[in-house]
Amino acid sequence: MMQTLASAQPDILQKMIFGETPAPSEAAAWSDGLFLMITWFSIFCFVILMALMVFFVIKYRRRPGVPAQPSPHHNLHIEILWTVIPSASMLVMFVYGFWGYSYKIVSPDNALEMRIQGSKWSWIATYPNGSSSPETQPLSKMIVATDTSTSVTQGKEYPIFYVPENTDIRLRMMSTDVIHSFWIPEFRTKMDVVPNRYTGFGFRTPKLTANDTVIYHDAETKKNTTIAGRDMWVFCAEYCGDDHSRMAATLRIVSQEVYDQKMADWSVQLSPIDAGKKIWTQICKSCHETDGTRLVGPTWNSVKNSDGQFGFGYDAELADGSSVMRDANYYRESILDPNAKVVKGFAPAMSSYQGQLSDEDIDNIISYIQSLSDRNPNAGEDAGSSETESDTEAAGSDS
Amino acid sequence: MSTPDTHAGHHDEGSYLSGPPGTISRIWQWASTIDHKKIGVMYLFAVLFMFFLGGMSAMAVRYELLDPIRTQTTEFLNASGEIEIVTVTTGESLKELLGAMGIGDSLTGSQIYNRAFTLHGAIMVFMFIIPAIPAALGNFFLPIMLGAKDVAFPRLNLMSWYIYLFGCTFGVLSILLGGVDTGWTFYTPYSTTTDADHWRVVLMVMAAFILGFSSILTGLNFVVTVHKLRAPGMGWFDMPLMIWALYATSIIQVLATPVIGITLLLLVFERLFHIGIFDPSLGGDPVLYQHFFWFYSHPVVYVMILPGMGIISEILAVHSRKHIFGYRAIAFSSLGIAGVSFLVWGHHIFTAMGELAAILFSGLTFLVAIPTAIKMFNWIATLYKSSIVINTPMMYALMFLFTFSIGGLTGLPLATLATDLHLHDSYYVVAHFHYVMMGGTVIAFMGGVHHWWPKMFGKMYNEKAGMLGAAIVFVGFNLTFFTQFFLGTQGMPRRYANYVDEFQTLHVLSSIGAVLLLVGFLIHAAVFFFSLKWGEKAPANPWGGLTLEWECESPPIEHNFHKEPILKHGPYDFETVVPPHCDPKDYPLPENPGKH
Repeated sequence: MMQTLASAQPDILQKMIFGETPAPSEAAAWSDGLFLMITWFSIFCFVILMALMVFFVIKYRRRPGVPAQPSPHHNLHIEILWTVIPSASMLVMFVYGFWGYSYKIVSPDNALEMRIQGSKWSWIATYPNGSSSPETQPLSKMIVATDTSTSVTQGKEYPIFYVPENTDIRLRMMSTDVIHSFWIPEFRTKMDVVPNRYTGFGFRTPKLTANDTVIYHDAETKKNTTIAGRDMWVFCAEYCGDDHSRMAATLRIVSQEVYDQKMADWSVQLSPIDAGKKIWTQICKSCHETDGTRLVGPTWNSVKNSDGQFGFGYDAELADGSSVMRDANYYRESILDPNAKVVKGFAPAMSSYQGQLSDEDIDNIISYIQSLSDRNPNAGEDAGSSETESDTEAAGSDS
Repeated sequence: MSTPDTHAGHHDEGSYLSGPPGTISRIWQWASTIDHKKIGVMYLFAVLFMFFLGGMSAMAVRYELLDPIRTQTTEFLNASGEIEIVTVTTGESLKELLGAMGIGDSLTGSQIYNRAFTLHGAIMVFMFIIPAIPAALGNFFLPIMLGAKDVAFPRLNLMSWYIYLFGCTFGVLSILLGGVDTGWTFYTPYSTTTDADHWRVVLMVMAAFILGFSSILTGLNFVVTVHKLRAPGMGWFDMPLMIWALYATSIIQVLATPVIGITLLLLVFERLFHIGIFDPSLGGDPVLYQHFFWFYSHPVVYVMILPGMGIISEILAVHSRKHIFGYRAIAFSSLGIAGVSFLVWGHHIFTAMGELAAILFSGLTFLVAIPTAIKMFNWIATLYKSSIVINTPMMYALMFLFTFSIGGLTGLPLATLATDLHLHDSYYVVAHFHYVMMGGTVIAFMGGVHHWWPKMFGKMYNEKAGMLGAAIVFVGFNLTFFTQFFLGTQGMPRRYANYVDEFQTLHVLSSIGAVLLLVGFLIHAAVFFFSLKWGEKAPANPWGGLTLEWECESPPIEHNFHKEPILKHGPYDFETVVPPHCDPKDYPLPENPGKH
């Protein structure tokens, strides 16, 4: 193992640069140390140059009638010296940089591989068992539910990716549309997420300490509990359009037991509506609301508002003036070839999910969209199924 | 100087600024001029106007970032026991501002922000900083410093000016139609797929394409002028360093700009005809675009900074009355930078390329730092045993040494692969390139404008007000951008309208700095205005310079020199020559001049 250049007890400079918490992994600490080494080198050079400049400006200020004293026009020895010293210093930086780079990019063979999918403007992480996280939390940590009757949340919820502590993680990433970049600032690493090509990097999660706690929000009971864990931000670092600055996620490091429990919970077979709802949370929600709100795309709810009436079973007025019934085939086409029929007043901003979503996924999404409408042909059959209370409420709320 | 005049006809000529009576004939005289000085002055006011537009969009960006955009949803039970949902969005500062002006209702706060930063980048890069020094100051001074009457191809010069105007028209049209949100880099596949009304993106890309031709023609003109029109007696190593810098710049412009022309044309074809070069859904490669783009846009970084370095060499020598230390080292490092600049484009793509390529480009990138460091040391060494006067141009030159050193040194962690993976596309990069582009080029440009202002317009400016403006710009600049280094290392990505709460303090400080910058530049604008209107007449050689532009009158006559100048001394022989038009009492010479 290579010697870490950064101190485990961060000094003031280190805290100013990287924040209060020390780097969570050895690779990150190593890169911080390299940064500090370059910073000290830079400060040293800068102070010498500026001190000389200020000294000369004061000492050789112009005095009327006094000419500038002669001095050599060049000096080969000094010029060789100030070429060789910077070159040598930069060679050192290059070699250390190369070392640290391989340290960050390469991960052991037994690393846990997660697949990351980026799309405008959300992230999905898929685990080795095929499941993915349905949990979300708001951007601001300051605002949490206060009691059961009043709750305050951010408008946009960000997915929480659970990873076990003290484990090597490897990411295999791809984008479905434009270029994104997956950045975990605390691990000091990012990599672009490109369509039609896999990229990736690795990191080792730290061991949790007694101070590492996070608030766990149970979506069903709406209760908050404190569990051992550590949250880190994930940001999209490559500009990707309208909601680029809201393309975030939380990486939550938890104990192996909690992680295993989550894996077991999430791999349970869901009903089509719940499965569709889960896909909506992960992908569709950034552009399509289900409460009547207008986002980049139309709402899926059948609530009548100033934009007209949306939802399954209603006519859609298209940009070219014609209208078309919103039936299952309309939704299928809109997912696979979104620009074929664009609703009036909306930009053709959606890209195709051909090849991204399976036929089963599309069936499930359509089931979920149906369940939101008061013209749901399956309403009677659903009543006896495993559909949850809240979904039925949402479906019938406008009648 | 006292040799009999054989070139009759130039004595009684007036200043280039004097023209025929009547507004229309004056406008026609300027619009149809092939005089490099008039073209340079027209460029100067055009780029200053573009600097103003780009600066205003920067102010819009800083205004939005005072406060993150937040959507807050509150659920509560109302009196009748039903759940009520209230959604409030706060922090959409620009949207509110535009709403008050009655425009832009259909866009969200983030969409407006994305247009604002794209405008800032596109205007500043393509319409301000690339033409700023070569086309404005370069056009005016390159022929005079060489002792020529004009550039080699005066009509071609007028043509590049009109191409520049034509390109700017496309850009402004795109803005007036609603603006683009691609960022100034037009990365694919975002730029080929965004936005239904794609004519705006096409217009903006075409603007950059057309502006490229203006740049190529100016570069070509300068290369030929330097080769063919040097005054008798002026060898290559008797040229002022400003000329060396402009020469290196022109070579880059001629060689690199055609590549961006082809790339932007491919982008337009991709958008309009879906030919499938960059868009992966059509079988293309999106990263290929980045390689093409940076193959031009990295060398062009040196198109921006090299002329600035040339200006700094001139200002430091004249205002400290000292021979430049290591003249040849500075001249060759300009050419060295121009050469190496073609080999380092990959460092813009470290996070999207293979490991081997990343390692190679990291090594090559360090190479480009060495000639830059050498120039820095030479400038500081020039000040040794000199005679320094502090005025506005010299203040800007010293500020350049300060801010450009920070800009250069903070580039080291970006060339270092391990640390770049963290800093790439963060605010650290934003801070770094503003220290280089603004702390380098813009500061040098401001210094150059003040240095040559008396020569260009024949009027002095108010020195104290100029120095006050420079001091405010210095403080404002450092407050605006030094804070952004910390934002970057702590995890703030660039091009974000919205951010997590812990970054707000630094963002507010940065925005305060931007206001100071605006105040500083407004003071400069007022100083220039007062100088043109009421400034006292400038002497032919106010600073005691030795290069040829100080031998002609202020402002120069139409053909620059009354007779063809013959070079009798080097550009920096302050130890042995009393500057032209100067009183030897004010310019005492040392008794034992130094050895060469």
